Amino acid sequence: MSVQVYIPTPFRRATNNKDRVAIDAGDVKALLDELEGRFSGLKGLVRNEQGEVHHHVNIYVNSEAIEALQGVQTSLKDGDEVSIIPALAGGQARPRRGACPPPAALKADPAG
Amino acid sequence: MILSAEEFSRIQAQAEAEYPAECCGVVLVRPDSPGDRLLLACRNIQSELHAKDPVRHPRDARTAYFIDPKDLLSIGRREAQGYRVAVIYHSHIDAGAYFSETDKRNALMGGEPAYPEAVYVVVSVVERRLADAGLFVWDPAARDFIPAELKPA
Repeated sequence: MSVQVYIPTPFRRATNNKDRVAIDAGDVKALLDELEGRFSGLKGLVRNEQGEVHHHVNIYVNSEAIEALQGVQTSLKDGDEVSIIPALAGGQARPRRGACPPPAALKADPAG
Repeated sequence: MILSAEEFSRIQAQAEAEYPAECCGVVLVRPDSPGDRLLLACRNIQSELHAKDPVRHPRDARTAYFIDPKDLLSIGRREAQGYRVAVIYHSHIDAGAYFSETDKRNALMGGEPAYPEAVYVVVSVVERRLADAGLFVWDPAARDFIPAELKPA
């Protein structure tokens, strides 16, 4: 069965800039195996060496996160759309304690 | 143009409203129609992650952001419609508008920018008021994000 896989910008270096790939797979695990087989650069980006999906990567079948389904065992059917989305995150250098510095001093924060 | 004056005002309003949590979002642009821009204010779920698993997520939203995966899915769908992520923004709470090592680490994937066409805007919010804003762009020669001038147009 053919499933459409959406490849977001961060992963496209590994897919020859393809943003959509059609894969024949019965479940998410088989899809990832096939995808990594076709685009070896994806190895390590989506799953770790134990084959577990990285915590910072979210996989959706249609609009449902696979954590809310059956994880990588989630079955796929013809016409499903799978999206593999890496986290977008960040934050301060480290938590601050005590009084805030005056705004004029903020640019010079050595932590940043 | 990095940000329009209206977009910057919206980011400022979001950052001040969400204080003392870091705010986050993106600006999407269609390369074939640069005037076609979308600012998507995103939900920061860092405190929820921290509450669920403080070991894996030791920070809360006061010092970090983590865009709701549902928002990332929306961003992905817009990308599929031809939009590109042009600006990724977030706020720092009671701290400067710098690009931290945490920001840098999370902006890279395999040592390269995760969003090569995007620039990063960091706004500093001190006591619920915008105090500063910074723009950071990837410099391939320096292999680092370097500050640039942010002039909302």
